This record gives sequence, structure tokens and C-alpha cells, in this order.
Amino acid sequence: MKLKIRNWNNLQMKLNRKITINDLAYLGGKRLFAKPKSTSNLVQPDFNKFLRYSKEFYNLRYYTNNGVLVKMLESRLAEFHDADFCVSFCSGFWALVLTITSLALKGKSEIIMPSLTYRRMADIAAWARLIPRFSEVDPTTLAQNRQTVNECINNETALILAVHPIVNCCDIEGIVSLGEENSIPVLFDSVESVYETASTGKIGKFGDAECFSMHASKLLNGFEGGYVTTNNAELAHQLSLLRTFGFEGQDNCVVPGGLNAKLNEIHAAMALANLDEMDQQIVNNQQRYRQYQSAFSGMIGIRLIEFDEHFDTSYKNIVVELLDDWPIGRDETVAILNSENILARAYYSPPLHQKSMSYSHIPASLKITDYLAKRFMLLPCGEFVKCNDIDEIVQLIIFIYSNGDQIKNHLKEMKR
Amino acid sequence: MKNKEFALFGGAPAFAKPLPVGQLYFPSWDRYEAAMRDIFKRRYYTNQGPLVQQLEERLQDYLGVKHAVCVTNATIGLMMAAEALELSGKVVVPSFTFIASALSLSWTGIEPVFCDVDPLTHQIAIDKLDPLIDEHVTGIMGVNLWGGACDVAALEKYAHTRDIEIYFDSAHAFGCEINNSKIGNFGSVEVFSFHATKILSATEGGCLCTNDELIAARLRNIRSSYGSGETIPVAKTSNGRMSEAQATIALISLDDFPQNQQKNEELFRKYEKRLKDIRGIKLVKPAGVTFSNYQSVVCEVDEAIFGASRDNLLAVLKAENVNARRYFYPGIHRSIGYRNGMNKIGCYLPVTDYLCSSCIQLPIGAMVDCNAVDVICDIVDRTQLSADILKSYFKKSC
Repeated sequence: MKLKIRNWNNLQMKLNRKITINDLAYLGGKRLFAKPKSTSNLVQPDFNKFLRYSKEFYNLRYYTNNGVLVKMLESRLAEFHDADFCVSFCSGFWALVLTITSLALKGKSEIIMPSLTYRRMADIAAWARLIPRFSEVDPTTLAQNRQTVNECINNETALILAVHPIVNCCDIEGIVSLGEENSIPVLFDSVESVYETASTGKIGKFGDAECFSMHASKLLNGFEGGYVTTNNAELAHQLSLLRTFGFEGQDNCVVPGGLNAKLNEIHAAMALANLDEMDQQIVNNQQRYRQYQSAFSGMIGIRLIEFDEHFDTSYKNIVVELLDDWPIGRDETVAILNSENILARAYYSPPLHQKSMSYSHIPASLKITDYLAKRFMLLPCGEFVKCNDIDEIVQLIIFIYSNGDQIKNHLKEMKR
Repeated sequence: MKNKEFALFGGAPAFAKPLPVGQLYFPSWDRYEAAMRDIFKRRYYTNQGPLVQQLEERLQDYLGVKHAVCVTNATIGLMMAAEALELSGKVVVPSFTFIASALSLSWTGIEPVFCDVDPLTHQIAIDKLDPLIDEHVTGIMGVNLWGGACDVAALEKYAHTRDIEIYFDSAHAFGCEINNSKIGNFGSVEVFSFHATKILSATEGGCLCTNDELIAARLRNIRSSYGSGETIPVAKTSNGRMSEAQATIALISLDDFPQNQQKNEELFRKYEKRLKDIRGIKLVKPAGVTFSNYQSVVCEVDEAIFGASRDNLLAVLKAENVNARRYFYPGIHRSIGYRNGMNKIGCYLPVTDYLCSSCIQLPIGAMVDCNAVDVICDIVDRTQLSADILKSYFKKSC
């Protein structure tokens, strides 16, 4: 006989709630979630809207090479970011590489970047044939500031790569003015700050250029993709040449150092449809964030990094700090959560300066970064996470904290 | 048609809309919609998704190769290949190829050494290699052009006896065969393009093929593959991923390959028949293969016989809305970024220079039918017959 049960998922979750530590999936218990809850956004637009955009390139039988949708997307994004120009790419990775090669001062060899950042960032410098010099970060923002960047400037500095952290922004004014004073170009990696606004305006118009990603896990899902915004007409032109082998027109190669980094029309259609629905997404993100905020309020042992709500913000990423009295290590916590199908992730760990690199780099000793790299993690967010999922996630975190000693002992036993 | 005035002189263009060179095969709207609905239902967009995995498996089966690694485009694929092969110093590459072949080397810190090509087949001239090989040369990139192939066996032997790598830019060669072996099985790696202008289209895309386990593992690590295959050390990673949207278009295109190849072949035969009697026009037939995709129609225009220059013919065709192309133009050894090495030994490339000044690519593929071929060939024919008038017209307009 089949039983009809309403809210099967809720019931299932209640059944999977932990009573003793042996109920943890890590120790052989049942998983809290049947389907993984990830830190990827994976936002999906209205299908018909996506089709309507698709119809435009389809009717023209024009599928790539600076097509009608790519142009439309670039003009919409320039407007969105209050910047003069936008150039799209097949990914944020190659957008960064090409912008770095375009902006870097000729004859200089080093690029300043944080160590507490995207795991492939030093590889990006290597593709651009620059040597990464890793800067410290400000422990209150987890990002570079004027002082930490200033410590890295020398005669070989070709470019400052300023990276916004996963929540809120880095010291925009301080770093831009530092760049200007030293005549060193500043490129912002604004991959996690698409919707943010600083006191001096919308992200997208600062420094010499800003770089964004349209990977499915990001705020603006274009399957894969990236774009650069800038107020520099010459740079925008140069980038649009470089992403198409250096061609101006059909077979007229006018700049060296190009490659193929073009965005195709299907990806542009996806990004356009998602851009139309961005405001609704922010409302949904805010709801999820509020749920985390209230669930974490008053909690000890763990702290939610709060969004600066003085200006527009995406409310997308959920980052927590495990405080000194948190009973177990961050990596152990991530492992326990992962086995429950909560795909929490360590925040930029290991930091870049601790990784082995086969290409040239400046070895660094970064105590603050090392300390921070062990304390933070990202919790699930995005379209697949419902508010009651958040309650369950936080309940589990409370369970881990409350049973900290027992879990700690058990983990010790396991190690033996 | 025969008596029509050239559009160049004010007549109505032969085609109402510009006709691109090709291939531009794309699924019908219904199939596109169904494929995209499927992705939206699954909500898996990228990161080595189920469709990319399926595409890689189907390509492996189809090509009979152990590993197919799909990528976002062939240029990034060629860059990944040079990284995975750990090439350094110099690599020999024909100058008569698309500029991406050389750019991929520059991006990986390698100096391209340009080789001339065979005047009949347009493929890399093995007899011109010797003077180019020195102790800094770590590899040869063969380029399989025009739906044909280099002499892969001879090139493999040449490279192996000198202990250097041999790999292939097979951007033009998807589906081609040499004695029952599909292109994709030669050298250490082969790189295909799935750009919209190729017979297999992912709008943008490409694929690297290898039968070598270690190279395949390196490629998957360099591309970033999200759990597919083991993690092994590589010098540096990148983002070379193909999305699910690209993969679904490529899967449909692979289903359609037999009929698209057949259509290409029919059109090619038609061109062959029509062009053979036009003086000074030589259609380049796919060389070195036993089965071709016929994705390119390339002709040499011998100005001395044809009467008008290649560029004159191009201007006539463009005015008629036939977007024929100079292809390739110029030779890479004369392009920005590479022409500074012109005084070097490898840069006396007379065949490449001749082909770059005489080759023209004509339309073939989704937008073309037999009537269109007739119309295009009529224009070429009339250009030849009116060469004198055209020549003086171009002289005046100069």
C-alpha cells in the first residue's frame, strides 16, 4: 500500500535530524539532504524569455563573432554598471588574462594580487607572463586596502589587480588613488561584486577596468562567459580586437597577442534573459540572507559576515567565520557539512602563496592571510536553497557546536 | 543570368543577402527549443555536465580514439595542447594556416618557426623541414587543411626519428579519414574546431583527441574538469570548459554529420564540374584523405591565365553579395607580431606567398544549394570573360 504524505521532503528532513553524533552522515548516519545544496547560484531565467532572445540570432543565422545578442548584452551591461564600454568574453578567466596583458606597464614584470583569492589567479598571471606578488589583506574586509597594496609596490610593478572579496567590496578609493599617485594601472576583479554599489558609485566604473564572470555559479548566469567594463575607449577597442585573434574586419590582423575569447550568441541570450530578471533575483537572495541572518543572530562560536546595506548589494554569497571557541577545525566542519550534502566550501583555502607554483612568483610570508584562510567558509546559497533548507543547515551547525566536544573526540579517535 | 550586368557596375546583386562562406549548419528551431528545454529542466549549465560527457563519449566512439576532451574553442585547445605536451623553445608550423595556430604557440611562450607548404596539396612541405630544425625545436604542428590532410605518417616518422613532438591542428578536418583511420588518431594530440563555420558546430567549441593517457589527464587538468579524471600536476590551469549549451548543439551536429557531409560533397562536385572549364581557376581537392568532409571550397586564381587578379574577382563577387574570402591572407610570417622575423631563414616561403595572393574561398554549407553554386560559378566565368574590362575598371578606380 502506498502512503500519500504531504511535504514529504520536510518529513524526510525531520527524520534525518540529528539526535546523537552518530546520526551525522560523516559518522555513518543519514544525509540531511537528498539533493546537494551548493554555493553555486545556478539562477535560471524564464524559458520563453531565453527563447525570444535566441530567436533573434536564429533568424539571422548568426551564431557567434560579435553577433546581435553579444552587442545588445554589452550595451545593456555598460548601462547597468554605469560604465562607458563593456566587452564580453568566453569566460572571466580569459577576460582577466587579456585585460591584464593590455593594461600592464610595458617592461615591468610584477602584478600585485591578494593571496586570499580565486584559486586560479596566479595561473592567470602566468598566462599573462607576469610574476605574482601577493599582498596581505585587511582582516576586517578580507580584502586588500591601500596599505596592503602599497607594501607591494616597487619598480617592477606593472599592474595592481584589486580583488573584491566574496561579501562587500575592497578599498576602492584607497587603491585607485594609490595607483594614480604611482602611475600604475588598477584592474578590479569584480566577479563577486556585480550588483554592489560603493559610496562613489556603481561597481564597474572604477580603476582602469573591472572584470566580471558569467559562469553559471555567479550572479549573472550566461552558462559560461565574462566581461570587462571600462571608461577607456582605447582599452575597450583593444580588448575587442584581442578576443578575436587581433582582427579588425575580416582578415586584417592589427594587434599581436590575440586569441579566441569570443562569447557565443546562446550564452549571450542566457545572460540577457537573466539580466532582465536580476532585480527579482536580488529580492530572493535578500530573503535567503535574512533567513541566515536571523538564524545566526545571537549565536556563539560562529559569525555571519554581514552585507553592507548602505548601498545596493547582491545578498548572494553567505560567508561565516568560525570563531575561537568553535570546537573543531574549519576543514573538519566543511567535511561534516559536505557529507550531509551541504556543499559548504572553505573560503579561498589554501591561499595562493602557500601553493606550489612551477612558474615565477615572489614567495611571501603573509601571517594575516594564513590566519584568515583557516577561519571562513561559504554556506549554500542561490536558487536551489529554500528558506526551510537554511533553517535545517543552521540547526545542524548548532548541533555541531553543541556536541563539539564529543565530535572532537570522535574525530581524534578516527585519526588514530 | 549570363547576360546580367555586374553588380559592381550597378546591376542588381545576384543574391539578395550576403552569402557567407559557410558552414553554418544549425539545428531547426524545434530541435533547438527541445534541446534547450532539456537543459533548463536539468538545470545543469556547465562544469563537465552530462551533455559534455555524452559528447566526449560519442566523439571517442566515432573517431575511434581513447580520449576526446571538449573545449570552449580550438584556439584555447591548441594552447592547452602545447602546455600538455610541455613544448618549449621553438615549434615548426606552416605559415599557410589560420593565425590561431601561431598565436597558440606565442601564448605558451614558444617561438613559431614557419615552414612552407606543398604547392599542389597546400599541406606542410616535409621536404622543407630540414633547414628549420635546430636544437631549440621541440615539436612540429602539422595543419590539416581544406578537408584534406598532411602526410601524417611521414611527419610522424620525421618527428620520431628526431625525438621531437608531432601534433596536429585539425580545425578543418573533422570526420576525415585516411585509410579507415579517422583524423584525430595521429600525432600526440589533434585539435578540432567546432566553430560555426566548421562542419561540426557548437557555435564556438573544439575538442582535443589523444590516445595517450598522461596527455589526456594533463589536458583535463589544464582545462579544469570538475572531478572528471584524476588530479595530476600541470604547470598552469585555465578555463577551457565547454558549456552544456555548446555540447547540445555539437551533439545535434554530430547526428547530422552524415547528411551535412553528403550535402557538402554534392556541392563540391558541382563546383568541380562548373569550375574545371574556367581558365585560370584551379579548385583545390582534399588531398591525403580517403574520405573528406568537403567543408571548404578553395581555388587558386592564376592571374596570368584568368586575366583578372584574385582581388578583382573577390570585389566582383562581394558586389554580388557573395562573401568570398581571401583565405589565408596574409601568410602568418607577414602578419603583425610575426613579420619581424622575416629576415630569418624560415621566412623565405615562396609557395605560401603565392597561395596567399591567389587563393579564394567560396561558399559551401547550410546557406548554399546547387542553384547558388551555379550562380557563383557563372559570376566567376563572366569575370574571366570580362577580365579586360574589369581590369581597366579597377585600374581607373585605383
